[in-house]
Amino acid sequence: MMLFATTPNPLVAGQIALAALLAAAGFFLLLPKPRVRSVAGGTAAVVAALAVFGAWLYQAFGRPMPDLVGTVLFVLFSAGALGFGTVLAVQRNPARGAIAFAFVVLSTCGLFLLLAAPFLMAATVIIYAGAIIVTFLFVLMLSQSAGPSDENDRTREPLLGSLAGFAFVGLILFTLYQTQQSVGAAESAGGALSAPAALLPAPVMTPGEAAALDDATTQLRRLEDDAFYGDPAAVGTSRQERMEFVGGIERTLDGVAGVSPGKEHGTIGDGSVHGRLAAYRTDTQAKAVLERVGRVRELSRSALDKVELTITDPAKGKPDEAKAEVAKLREQVQLLRGAGELPARNVANLGLLLYADHLLAVELAGTLLLVATIGAIAIAHRRGVAA
Amino acid sequence: MIVLWHYLAVAAALFGIGLVGFLTRRNLITMFLCAEMMLQGVAINFVAFARYHGNLHGQVFVLFILAVAACEAGVALALFLMLYRRRKSLDVSGWQELREVGVPPSLDADPLVSVPQTPDPVLTPAGGRPAPTAEDAVRV
Repeated sequence: MMLFATTPNPLVAGQIALAALLAAAGFFLLLPKPRVRSVAGGTAAVVAALAVFGAWLYQAFGRPMPDLVGTVLFVLFSAGALGFGTVLAVQRNPARGAIAFAFVVLSTCGLFLLLAAPFLMAATVIIYAGAIIVTFLFVLMLSQSAGPSDENDRTREPLLGSLAGFAFVGLILFTLYQTQQSVGAAESAGGALSAPAALLPAPVMTPGEAAALDDATTQLRRLEDDAFYGDPAAVGTSRQERMEFVGGIERTLDGVAGVSPGKEHGTIGDGSVHGRLAAYRTDTQAKAVLERVGRVRELSRSALDKVELTITDPAKGKPDEAKAEVAKLREQVQLLRGAGELPARNVANLGLLLYADHLLAVELAGTLLLVATIGAIAIAHRRGVAA
Repeated sequence: MIVLWHYLAVAAALFGIGLVGFLTRRNLITMFLCAEMMLQGVAINFVAFARYHGNLHGQVFVLFILAVAACEAGVALALFLMLYRRRKSLDVSGWQELREVGVPPSLDADPLVSVPQTPDPVLTPAGGRPAPTAEDAVRV
């Protein structure tokens, strides 16, 4: 009983079990068979199971909802996927099942869109449009029985099948809940991030770091202005004040991204991001963030040095070069600010990743498709019959 | 706020519905669609984790799932065609002689209830049937 002993809230386990039992009972009533089939009773039980499931989701993981539109869309799409999935699983007529499957695919595509995967949404719609039409053709070709038939009006072990399936789902949900509890406990004990667990996307920057990077971005914009490098009398600020300003930016960036070891009067040290993420060396996400931090560090040294040179020695300095470097630095700072978000150019980045990191898998998938085509032709070939 | 756990829970439920359908239904085409639905549930998991970790590896994996699903569909539908040619039926239980030795066959005890269907109404023809002309044979 260790499994249940670690649960802080026994109500949650009861809710999951109730939802699974209701769903199993509903499926038992809905599945086509000669006796005890009740569409009304089964629908009521499945709807009740969905309601209990939703209540459990809200109670276990729900938070106050600042993002109303996103929440409403998520509820619509997931209810659509689950509802039409139920229709597909219990529908007597396979043609109607194929239509229900089309709606399941559309709802899943809505969820993909909410998860920032527009290319996958389009690809899934395109591929399954073809797949569903082919399924229709097969239904029309092979399954044209007018009256009741064994395959459509009978079910294998409806009670045991639904109980087994939904017991499996209940166990998965229970494991999810326990994982969430343990992750939440670890986070509140460590106190590294005050944000709640499993936000989408996962918060990489602390709010303080994000605010510092935002400040640095607005201040860097001023360095890109021509007026900053003009004659002190015309600009209205003394050389000393401008040096102070550049020094302020440097300190802000150093606090987040760390002090470069090559600097003349600087000490060797790490910024706050590095200190937080250095422990996760093998994590892909942490590695990517640390790379961006390194880029900001290098660029800030060269760019701000050029700006300082331009201010102190206007005869030798080149304001255009300094401005170009500052623009690059500002881009990198903004990229670091958005670390943890998916890149905006979904298709381009997917393509880059496919052909840079997963080239062998792409080749294997192509080979698999070829083999499957040959296999399908070989299986469906009529031996000994002239075409 | 919708967090990662919500997506994982919905994906698990979708997978479970597909699993029940695959275990209990007897029509080969419906079983195939239920298996595809289980794949959709898994794909939601991958895409949610891709968003959570801020990289695209999960989405790439879903692309490979799509490729494997296409292969599966091709081979499965070719197999259905072969099975249908042998038995003239899409019922998987028609192939239960392939079961393990010693397992009793599953027999359908209850007779199928056929819903009495009212025949479509037929209109009584109004007027007389026109006499065939010489052109009719050519037209048909």
